[in-house]
Amino acid sequence: MKSNFVFFLGILAALGVSWAAIVLGSNAELGALAPFYDDTQSTAFPEWMPGEAARGQLVYRDLGCASCHTQQVRRPGLGSDQARGWGERQSVARDYIYQPAPQLGASRIGPDLMNLGERKPTAPDKDDLLKLLYAGAEGMPPYRFLFEMRQVGVGAQPSDNALRLTGALEAPAGWEIVPTERAISLVKYLLNGKTPYDYPEAVPLPPAKPEAGGGAK
Amino acid sequence: MTSEHSPNDAASRWPILMLLLAGSVWLVVSGVLGIIASVQVHTPVFLSGCPLLTHGRVSALAETSFVYGWLANAGLGLALWVLGRLAGEPLRAQNWALIGTAFWNIGVAVALAGVATGDATGFALLGLPRYVQLEMIFSYAAVALPGILAWSGRLRRVSFASHWYAAAALFLFPWLLSVAHVVLFALPPRGVVQAIAAGWYAQGAWTLWLAPLFLSVAYYVVAKTTGRALPSYEFAALGFWCLVFVGGLTGGRHLVGGPVPAWISAVAVVSSALLSFHVIVVVLNLRGAATAPGVSAKFVAFGIAAYALGAGADAATSFLGVAVKTEFTYFDEALRQLALYGAATAVFLGGIYFAVPRITGKAWLSGRLVRAHLLLTFAGVVLLVGSLVVASLVQIPDLLDAKVPFAQITRETRPWLLGVTGALGILLAGNIALLVNFYATACEILNLSKPAAFEAPAAAETHAS
Repeated sequence: MKSNFVFFLGILAALGVSWAAIVLGSNAELGALAPFYDDTQSTAFPEWMPGEAARGQLVYRDLGCASCHTQQVRRPGLGSDQARGWGERQSVARDYIYQPAPQLGASRIGPDLMNLGERKPTAPDKDDLLKLLYAGAEGMPPYRFLFEMRQVGVGAQPSDNALRLTGALEAPAGWEIVPTERAISLVKYLLNGKTPYDYPEAVPLPPAKPEAGGGAK
Repeated sequence: MTSEHSPNDAASRWPILMLLLAGSVWLVVSGVLGIIASVQVHTPVFLSGCPLLTHGRVSALAETSFVYGWLANAGLGLALWVLGRLAGEPLRAQNWALIGTAFWNIGVAVALAGVATGDATGFALLGLPRYVQLEMIFSYAAVALPGILAWSGRLRRVSFASHWYAAAALFLFPWLLSVAHVVLFALPPRGVVQAIAAGWYAQGAWTLWLAPLFLSVAYYVVAKTTGRALPSYEFAALGFWCLVFVGGLTGGRHLVGGPVPAWISAVAVVSSALLSFHVIVVVLNLRGAATAPGVSAKFVAFGIAAYALGAGADAATSFLGVAVKTEFTYFDEALRQLALYGAATAVFLGGIYFAVPRITGKAWLSGRLVRAHLLLTFAGVVLLVGSLVVASLVQIPDLLDAKVPFAQITRETRPWLLGVTGALGILLAGNIALLVNFYATACEILNLSKPAAFEAPAAAETHAS
């Protein structure tokens, strides 16, 4: 390697090839992915993400929830994703087209949160999630800074959103614990996690009987 | 090794010393942050009341300060030193490097403040918020300038493996980050293309930037400490081009089975396997490090062994059948630590222990601290990676069994996660030893302190005897 110029061109080409193949290639394939219009239901899927949920996704990103939670369900047969009730079909690229910042995640210290709004057998509701955020759980920290303590009494109406807690977590008399706007948008975002429609590319494959068939895809 | 001293070292020492000192400060900072993050994994309530230090944020802070604080500064400093050495004359444009170093480190500090207060990007290995990225690209280019000039203006036309790897890293990183800036921040694509592009950047940052930086140092230190021509050197160029052309294609490695086209992960799996050719060449070339004398060669030998082990494990676990079990578990974290700590950090430490006595013309103030650091690094990395692997072996069957709740997985992996914290503590102790030793040595050439107990060294490095 005596010529600096040839060397320079070589590494430029190397970076260019990988960029064109991976980034441009996937953008050409997925960048203009359209919602799927279903004639029988007269609706397009996925549904548009409500603004509050989209804001909640940014709260999720900024707190770094993705360091312990994924949001991608693998197809039935890969891992225990289906058996844990995380989703009946695999997540596909079309599920994410309206998300401002998809949080696929890379670690499952905690459970997957892709379909939290339709979790089997029972999906949590808003109050459950707010309580979980406030109280934490084994393996999950509490996020008390997403809540505020407010005084109730003369001249201060109790909030509709106040948490109904019991036991040691209960607020002292004359006080209430109210979720902040960030907590509410985060929860709206999590409950918005639903993939109700089976796109043609996401229809669950019948589990391959012989083991050899599994790696074909 | 008296022939080893070059008058050019003293003439170009300030930018290099500044980079290496800044790097060793960030190494300690990231060590503290890493310990906080690891405690939070087994004891989630730890510091949970502090919004600046949620687990997600601390992890991003630890990674950013480690990669852009420690690895970048140390790698750049050593690349400049190696390129200057090989050029045979003092570095040119040193002021550019000094100013670039100052702004690079300001950029890292601003990035950390940004992540802690809510500007986390959520991308692995790209924790830099949008607003510091351009500033850091230009700072990097300024620091790299003396290295590029030393490479293009070298006295002899022939170039060596250290040249290729260092020059490639100096050129490639600004391109890589500027492309990532445009693709992920200025004109973000829709949906999962973001994750694919982020994966491309993260793998590129490793295979096209950090790995070339430490391989450049490794090739130089091994050639110098063994004092012989490197064996099988005729394959070195092939190994280099293999890394540069194939390395960038391994980006889909962590998207196996995910919501992306299957060809992305298929390309990554094939590329990971092809990359083993590069690793074999590196091991063949640098096998002399295992028997070479001195602390530096031991660090480098450890780093190359970790690099080979990590690359082999990475290729072996990228196949679908294995990847669906190991992905999302502590095993991925073990491989990440093996690469960033076991390989890159160990080689950079070896490079620092090799270069600083030559740059300053003084021996390390305390040889005992140097040897302690060697032992602590070896023990720490083995314990760290070992604990994570065992934790993943507990975690994998539990995750696959849908009846095991996550609280139980937390309980069962806890003993091994405590081991991770312990390992990070050991590594932090070693890195503090480096910082103390380094500052004492650097202060001495500034005549800021006059150590009473210091005696004139018999040789310029502790391991020469």
